[in-house]
Amino acid sequence: MKRSILSLSAILVASSAYATETPITGNVSSKCSIYTDVAGVYGNPNPDELSTLPADGGVMPIIRYDVSIADYYTAKISWPTSFTTSPNLTDSLTWDGEVEVSATSSTDMAGYEAAKVEYDSVTEYDLSAAGSTWFKITSSVTYGVDKALPGGTYKANVTALCIAN
Amino acid sequence: MRKTLIAAALFIANSAAAHELTPTYPEFKQSYVDNVLVTQLKLWNRRQDVEYYEIDVYDKNWFNIKFASANKVIKVGYLEHQVIDIYIRETDLDNVEYICTTSKQLKQDVQSTGVKSMICSRVK
Repeated sequence: MKRSILSLSAILVASSAYATETPITGNVSSKCSIYTDVAGVYGNPNPDELSTLPADGGVMPIIRYDVSIADYYTAKISWPTSFTTSPNLTDSLTWDGEVEVSATSSTDMAGYEAAKVEYDSVTEYDLSAAGSTWFKITSSVTYGVDKALPGGTYKANVTALCIAN
Repeated sequence: MRKTLIAAALFIANSAAAHELTPTYPEFKQSYVDNVLVTQLKLWNRRQDVEYYEIDVYDKNWFNIKFASANKVIKVGYLEHQVIDIYIRETDLDNVEYICTTSKQLKQDVQSTGVKSMICSRVK
């Protein structure tokens, strides 16, 4: 009798472990993530020009920045100023570009576009609100003076920086 | 309508891919070597088009500062985490401002326009 009671107690004690709660813990810390939502494509609207503008047959690259806590990061986005891959080019290239906010996850980011700082090929945004911001980049390049670009593959890089303040 | 469909197709075709570096403000502590400090950063690669990341340490004027780590260019597979140990000389501690990781794409992996992502943590 005593032995049965002891065995039953042992089983109950052992089984009680299944009834405990399993905690799931999480931590939201400051961080910045850079997403490449859309990889850009150059269109060739004129023999001497490449452009990512949809009107020119291109696709504009779209980059998304996610920041978990406000005021911790600055975004610096640069449009390309050289090709990473191209056929042999003997004349000069004239680069141009533009970085714009295309969408935001919060109305607190409404002032980003007006407050952006532009210099050289760089556009700087102070990420003063938490959430996601999408940036679209326009890049265009012309070759020589009305000179046709040689046939081949052309590739260039957009640089997206996220720097802790 | 057609434009909306094209835009939707583009978004589906190019699933989001991210590069992430934590913590934002790493702190150096004494390593197992005298006069050498160490800090640890965590890199998460959610970019399917990138497998390699370069580590750099800069001062406030963006000049390189000498550091040591297992590799200067590290291979991080898609959806992998990598913990990076960065060692600096104790005498450089006051000069270290940024620790950055930059995506390095292989030539054949770049589409028409690639995205070079760079995230910098700051040493305060």
